[in-house]
Amino acid sequence: MRELRPWLRLIFRRPGRLLTGGVLLFATLLCGIALLAVSGWFITETALTGILLAAGTAAAINLYVPGGAIRFFAVARTVFRYLERVYNHDTVLRLLTDIRVALFTRLASAHRRLRNELTGAQWLSRLTSDVDALDTLYLRLIAPAAMAALSTALVVALTAVLSDYTTAAGVGLILLGALAIATLAVYIRTRALAFHQSDRQESLRTAVIEHIDGFAELTAAGRTGKHAAWLMRQAHRVTTAQARIDTRVGWHLAGAQLLINLAAVFALWAGLGLLQSNAVSGPVLVLLPIALLGLGEVFAMLPEAFGKLGATKASAVRLNRDCVPVVDTDPPDTVDCPEGIAVMARDLAVRHPGHVVVFTHFDLRVSAGERIGIIGHSGSGKSSLADTLAGLLPPAHGALSIRPLAYLTQTTVLFEDTLRANLLLGEPDASDSQLWRVLELVELGDRFASEPRQLDTWLGSGGSRLSGGEARRVALARVLLKEAPVLILDEPFTGLDTGTRERISKRLDGFLAGRTVISLAHGPDALPGTDRVMYLTA
Amino acid sequence: MVQPQSEAGDARSTADRAQQVNPWLAALARASRPWIGATVIAGSVAGLATIVQMALLAAVIHRGVIEQVPVTGLTTLFAGLILTLVIRALAQGLQTRFAARCSEQVRRDARRRINRHWRATGPVALAHTSSGTLAREWIDHVEALHGYFARFLPQLALSVIVPLTILAVVFWLDWLAAIFLLLSAPLIPLFMALVGMGAEKLNQQHFETISRLSGQFLDKVRGLTTLQLFGQTGSATDLIEQRSDHYRRITMKTLRVAFLSSAVLEFFASVAIAVIAIYIGFGLLGFITFGPSSELTLFSGLLILLLAPEFFQPLRTLSQHYHDRAAALGAGAELIDRLNSPVDPRCTNGVATADADKPDAQSISLSSVTLGFQENNCLFRDLSLHVEKGEVIALTGPSGGGKSTLLHLLAGFMAPDRGEIRVLGRAPGSFPFGWLGQKGFLVHGTWADNLRLTTPDASDIAIDSALRNVGLGPLLDSRQAGIYSAVSEDGQGLSGGQARRLSLARLFLADYDLILLDEPTAGLDSDSEVFVLEALHKLAVAGKTLIFSTHHQALLTLANRVLLVSGGEVRDA
Repeated sequence: MRELRPWLRLIFRRPGRLLTGGVLLFATLLCGIALLAVSGWFITETALTGILLAAGTAAAINLYVPGGAIRFFAVARTVFRYLERVYNHDTVLRLLTDIRVALFTRLASAHRRLRNELTGAQWLSRLTSDVDALDTLYLRLIAPAAMAALSTALVVALTAVLSDYTTAAGVGLILLGALAIATLAVYIRTRALAFHQSDRQESLRTAVIEHIDGFAELTAAGRTGKHAAWLMRQAHRVTTAQARIDTRVGWHLAGAQLLINLAAVFALWAGLGLLQSNAVSGPVLVLLPIALLGLGEVFAMLPEAFGKLGATKASAVRLNRDCVPVVDTDPPDTVDCPEGIAVMARDLAVRHPGHVVVFTHFDLRVSAGERIGIIGHSGSGKSSLADTLAGLLPPAHGALSIRPLAYLTQTTVLFEDTLRANLLLGEPDASDSQLWRVLELVELGDRFASEPRQLDTWLGSGGSRLSGGEARRVALARVLLKEAPVLILDEPFTGLDTGTRERISKRLDGFLAGRTVISLAHGPDALPGTDRVMYLTA
Repeated sequence: MVQPQSEAGDARSTADRAQQVNPWLAALARASRPWIGATVIAGSVAGLATIVQMALLAAVIHRGVIEQVPVTGLTTLFAGLILTLVIRALAQGLQTRFAARCSEQVRRDARRRINRHWRATGPVALAHTSSGTLAREWIDHVEALHGYFARFLPQLALSVIVPLTILAVVFWLDWLAAIFLLLSAPLIPLFMALVGMGAEKLNQQHFETISRLSGQFLDKVRGLTTLQLFGQTGSATDLIEQRSDHYRRITMKTLRVAFLSSAVLEFFASVAIAVIAIYIGFGLLGFITFGPSSELTLFSGLLILLLAPEFFQPLRTLSQHYHDRAAALGAGAELIDRLNSPVDPRCTNGVATADADKPDAQSISLSSVTLGFQENNCLFRDLSLHVEKGEVIALTGPSGGGKSTLLHLLAGFMAPDRGEIRVLGRAPGSFPFGWLGQKGFLVHGTWADNLRLTTPDASDIAIDSALRNVGLGPLLDSRQAGIYSAVSEDGQGLSGGQARRLSLARLFLADYDLILLDEPTAGLDSDSEVFVLEALHKLAVAGKTLIFSTHHQALLTLANRVLLVSGGEVRDA
């Protein structure tokens, strides 16, 4: 359970809420058990009194207390159930927030290289399902297991009070068995299957995607049918494993219920013996087995939850692995920039981890206020160089020093938020007039001035409500807003027509006066104004 | 803020969806009917055993407490009780066992149908949808059907069978108590509709919120690097917290209402038990002077009380499984959309009319082929072309001129609107041929796995030499287990050029007469380019018919005939 520890610690940061939710849950279950037990007691009491009355014997019975209790438990059970569900779902949503925030914080400090390997849509959706597995840990597993243990203890104590210790010991033993079958045993018997289920599913997904990607080649070779049949067999393996887990959970549930029912039968059998020796009364004799039967409902949720524990553990393992905190790799030799120099790179080697070196022996010296262009065709390592200069990619070799910078990455990243929120990332304290000024600069002023909500225009998921060129210009405006002495612009004008490009270029010349600019592009016409141009050759 | 969709619109679309999906689900259910039946039978046996168990418990108590029979005299009843409990547990276990098996057949059927649809759609049209989406449909959407067939459908039957049986037993014991039960659940279908509506609403609301929330969360994770570049991770964390909390408050508002419907069920169940207990108690005391209550005994009274919660249990279980139905309807609707998406008659792969093979098995011919993607806009009009077997043909021309389409026609991935195409005397695509797309195609596994994908019976030696033919020899030598080592080791994948060469190696392995290649050298590094050229030359020398589209000068020289495809016409350059 070591894997779950950090997440459990997070969950238990709200002990008050958990306790209140637990108490409500317990009250609900208790009222349910009490309703039936008291009803059974009441019926037996009235039956015995009824016989006496019918025989003409004077007998008194208090109808108000049990009648009132029955009505109270009936209503209280409903009320508690409702309150419990509302309260505990609120808790789950709060835990979801906690987990997301914690995860985000940890991801943000995790090694960037590691995160880079995990950017696919598949990883993101897996992240969601892994988080979901953890946020229901309390409501699905911890609370019900605690409730089951508590109500078992309570029923055993009740037996000890109302009946004798031998019966209590017997009932306690049987219930302990039921608890073990419904929790630990389920976990042990399903953990290996459940732990790997998600991996199996992922490799199946990879296989299906490969099948579709290679569909033309497979069709040409006349092999689609055979390969599809192979896929069907892989899918069947996943299905069978799931069916096996479900079946085991089902048998354990049945076994636990059997033991609970046997406990009730045992209590009845022992009680009848005590009745003969007048150690217990008839109504009390009835109360105990019925209360025991009521435990069935408490135990019913456990096997399924414990059958999923293996998968939950796998989720925790993955999340723990994905947010390994930064390990200090050898920091590159840092040299302070001499006066008047903005960027200095000596004998730099750029390399993506796990791939071949993109290029070596790269030297660069840029004076403050200088504007240089770097040109290289796609695949020449241009963006890797930009990443390295911006500090996103540690250089494989060599020394690099650079003043604080703003970096426009080759891919446009906009957030599902307003235009204002997206721009303010560049300079959180920027005024509205500053925002409009950079928008004018990239020729988006009129575009958004005509929108009804102006700066608060919703950009949609990933800027989906903008055209590619508009999104690019918003990203450019955001970088321009940041007051850094050095700007690195990787393909700043993607998706812009020549006219717009030239006009923006001209305006940038004035706006960026005095700042150092390194622009990278695939060709000279895609660069803003430069003092000198370098060519990258692979 | 995202505008929430109008509630009315959602409700309507749900109803429409159900109407459309239900017949499809019913058709799927037919195959696994025996398993659903077995699940229902096991569930019914468990239900009956429960009734017997309660009757035996009540009988033991009645005889022990009222008739004061000593424990030793009740051995038979106790033995019966234990036997019943064992039967109940067995039936319960079998019920989940059958339920687990139940939907396997359904899922296999659904997947087979999708596979058939993919083949009918053909590689060209299939490429219009992302492979991630198609994989999600094939895996996740089909999995979503499981709960519906394994849990919801059997429980639907059980929630009618078990309560009705209990009602009959209670009616026989005391008809007035039975009427209490009936009154508390006025009409079972009405009750279920109530439960269903609540559950569906809850479910929908829940999933919408969760998906919206995770959308925003993932958005931030995706852009984490950008946030770091601007030093804004802290404020983004705050934003995630605020948004999450905001959504929690909105969700709780709906949940408070949605939980009321299940509270109503709970309330009826509790009140029914309370009313019955008090009625029986007063009846046993002889305080009630009308109706059947004078005949109540501890046995019948206790039995009615014990059966009352069991009367409501199947309905409560059903309401727990209601989200399975919603999930199946959602997934089913998308699957139906996919399966009903029209199969473009032009995008069929092979197996076309295999009419009597013409003697002309030595050439490829197109006669009066017309193909238009839109009306009035023909890509090819009355195109006729003749290519001899063994020729090496380069197709060149401006992009969008129809080079790829011509290759697709020859491959049988598309069929012409009019006209006839014969490839070596047969219909295009009706026999295996070589195809090399622009993206290399490789699977997770060893080199041998990858090559045997299209040629399953290839020998190790043949695989080795095919890989050497495309210049992958040095890479192979660097691997420990030769052709049996994994293609990607230590996370080091193949470059685009190496992947394309791997695909090319497959063409060496199989003895194809015809090989079609779409831009075989586009975007390759100079190393790979040399190997591809050399490999194509070897294939040409071996007498294969090669047809490829290209702009590459070296490839044009390799061809012994260059065709210019432009403006719907094909002519020798």
